[in-house]
Amino acid sequence: MTFAASKFAKFLPTATFAMAVEYLMGLSDSVICGQIIGEDGLSVINLMQPVFNVVSFFALLVGTGTSVLYAMEMGRFDRRRASELLTQGLWSALGFGLLLMGALALSRNAATAAFGVSGAVLSGAREYWVWFLPCAVLEPLSFYFSSMCYADGDGRICAGAYTAQLLGNCALSIPLTMRYGFAGCAIGTTVGHLMALCVLLMHLRREENSMAFVRHFSFKDTWSICACALGDASIRLCQAGLTLMLNLYVISRFGEGRLPVLAAVLAILGVSEAFDGVATAAQPLASVYIGEKNDRLTRRIMRLASCVSASEGLLLTLLLVAFPQLVVSMVGITDPSLADAARTAVRIVSLGLVGTAFVMLLNSYYTFRVREGLAVGVTALSTFVLPVALAPAAGWLFGERGVWSALAVSPYAAIGIVAAYVAYRCGRGVFPLFLDRARIRRSRVYDLVLDAKSICDVSATVGRFLGTRKGMDERKAGLVSLLVEETLMLVKDRNPGRRTHAEISVDWSNGVVIVVRDDGILFDITDADSTASSLRAYLVANLMVEIPARRNMTTTGFNRNMFRL
Amino acid sequence: MEIKTNTDGSTLTISVSGRVDTVTAPELEAGLKFGDAKQVVLDLADVPYMSSAGLRLLLTAHKTMMAKGGELKIANIQPTVKEVLDITGFSDILNLV
Repeated sequence: MTFAASKFAKFLPTATFAMAVEYLMGLSDSVICGQIIGEDGLSVINLMQPVFNVVSFFALLVGTGTSVLYAMEMGRFDRRRASELLTQGLWSALGFGLLLMGALALSRNAATAAFGVSGAVLSGAREYWVWFLPCAVLEPLSFYFSSMCYADGDGRICAGAYTAQLLGNCALSIPLTMRYGFAGCAIGTTVGHLMALCVLLMHLRREENSMAFVRHFSFKDTWSICACALGDASIRLCQAGLTLMLNLYVISRFGEGRLPVLAAVLAILGVSEAFDGVATAAQPLASVYIGEKNDRLTRRIMRLASCVSASEGLLLTLLLVAFPQLVVSMVGITDPSLADAARTAVRIVSLGLVGTAFVMLLNSYYTFRVREGLAVGVTALSTFVLPVALAPAAGWLFGERGVWSALAVSPYAAIGIVAAYVAYRCGRGVFPLFLDRARIRRSRVYDLVLDAKSICDVSATVGRFLGTRKGMDERKAGLVSLLVEETLMLVKDRNPGRRTHAEISVDWSNGVVIVVRDDGILFDITDADSTASSLRAYLVANLMVEIPARRNMTTTGFNRNMFRL
Repeated sequence: MEIKTNTDGSTLTISVSGRVDTVTAPELEAGLKFGDAKQVVLDLADVPYMSSAGLRLLLTAHKTMMAKGGELKIANIQPTVKEVLDITGFSDILNLV
C-alpha cells in the first residue's frame, strides 16, 4: 500500500462514519419526535428542515472553506498564512453563528406564521425554534473544529466527537422529549453539539496538534473562505430547493396521496450525503498535494477516491435494487399499492447513485482546487437545475416513473455537461482534474516502508534517474541520492521497531525540489542545529547547511520536509 | 560491490568498486583486513557514491592504522565522494592522495 493510500485508508472509516452520523443526526429528531409526540412531532421537525439546512450551509461554508485553504497554505509551507486563515475561520464561525442566532430569534414568529400551520404544530414549532437557537452558534463552531481536526490529521478525535454528539443527543433527547416535549428534543440536540465541541477542543492539547491561532482579523479572508466552500455548501441549499419543488410538483401532478412515494425517493437522495465521506477522507492529502503543486500525487489520491466512490455507489445501487423494501419500511409505507410504487421508485432512483457519488467527489475536488464556479455548477446542475427541468417533462411523457428516471439521469447528465464545458473552455484532456501533464512528466514519486535495503534502492534509483536519464550533473544527482538515503535512514533510526511509511517526490520543473514525507514520530530533520547523536545525524546536519532552501512542517499528522537544490 | 587487494612489499592496496551505502558497507567492512601492513592505500576510483555508513568505515580504518603506527591513504577519490568528505570536514582528518 502506498503512503497516500495508507493515509487515505486511515481517514476513510472516520470520514464515512462522520457522514453517516450526520445523516443519522438529521434523522434522529424526526424519529424521536415522531415516535414520542406523534404525527405533530414529525410535522414540526419537517417544518424546521429549511432552518437546519441554512445553519448547515453556514457551518459547511466556514468549516470546509477554512480547512481547504489552511491545508493548501500548509502545502505551500506557509505556516504563518495558514495560521491567519485558521484564526479568521474561527472568527467567521463565531460571527456567522451569532448573526444567525440573532436573525433566527428575531424572525421566529414571522417565519413560523409563514408555514401556514396552526394549533399544536405552530406552538410546537415555536417552542422547538427557541431552544434550537444555541445550535446556530454551536453547529458552525463544532463543524469548524471537526474540519480543522481532519485537516490536522486527527480523525480519531473527530470520530469521538461525532459519537459523543449522536449518543449525547439520543440519550438526552428521548427522556427530555418525553418530559418537556419539543423543548426537550431541541435541548438534547443543543447538548449533543456542545459535547462534540468539547471533545474536539481536546485536540488543541494533543502533542500532534499543529494548529496555532495568531492575532489576525480580515474580512477579505472571510470572503475567501466562503467563496472557496460555496460549491460544497451549496449542496444543502440545492437539496432544500429540490425537496420543495418536488413536493409541489408531485402534489399538483399526482396528488397528495403520492407523497409517501416521494418520501422514499428523498430518503435515498439523503443517503447520498454519506458519499461525501470519500471526499472528506481525501481532502487533507489532496489539498496538501495541490498546495505543493504536485499533480502526480494529486492524480494518485483522486484516482483512489474515485475508485472508492464508484465502489460505494455501485454497492448501494445493488443493495437498493435487490432490497428496495428496506427504504419502503424505513419511511413507514404500509399500503400495498403505494409500497409497490415506492419499491419501483427506489430501484429507478438508485441507478443514479454511482453518478451522484462522482458528482459529490467532483464538487469537493473543485472546492479543494478553489474552482468555486465549477463546484457550484456541477452541484446545482445535478441536484437542482436538471432534476427540476427534466422531471416535469419526463413526468408528462412517462408518468411517475418518468419523474424518478429524470432524477436518476440528472447526475450523469450534469457530469457530461460540465465535461463538455471544460473541453470547450480549456481544451480536451483537462477534465476532470485540471492537471498539468508537463509537470507530471517532470516529477517522480517513490513509496517505501523504511528498511535499509528499500532506502538504499530508492536512493540509488533517484540518483541514477536524475544523473543518466535527466542529464543532471553528477555532483547534484549524487547529493540528491545522499540526501534521500541519509534522511530516510535517520527517520528509520528515530523509529526503532516501528513500521514507518515514507513517500518521496522529486520534481525538476524549476530547480530540483525534493519532498520527503513520513508517518514516524514527529521531528524536524531540517534543523541544522539539532544535536548530532550519530555520524549519520552529523552528516544530515551538515547537509542541511549545504541546502539553505529547506522547510519542515508537520502536516495532517505526518512529517513533511522540503529541500530545493 | 567488488573488493580487490594487492600487496606490494609493506604496502597493501585495496581497490573498491561500487556504491558504498548502508546495505553494502558491511561488505566493505569485512574486506578491510590490513594484517601487518604498515601502509594501506584505499583506492576509491570506482566508488561513485558514499554515505555516512562508508564514512564511518573510513574513520575506523584511519584510527586502526594510526593506533598501530601505520598509515591509511585514500586514493583516486571521485568528486562526488570528495564533496561528502568536505561537507563533513573529514577531508581534513583523512589522508587523501
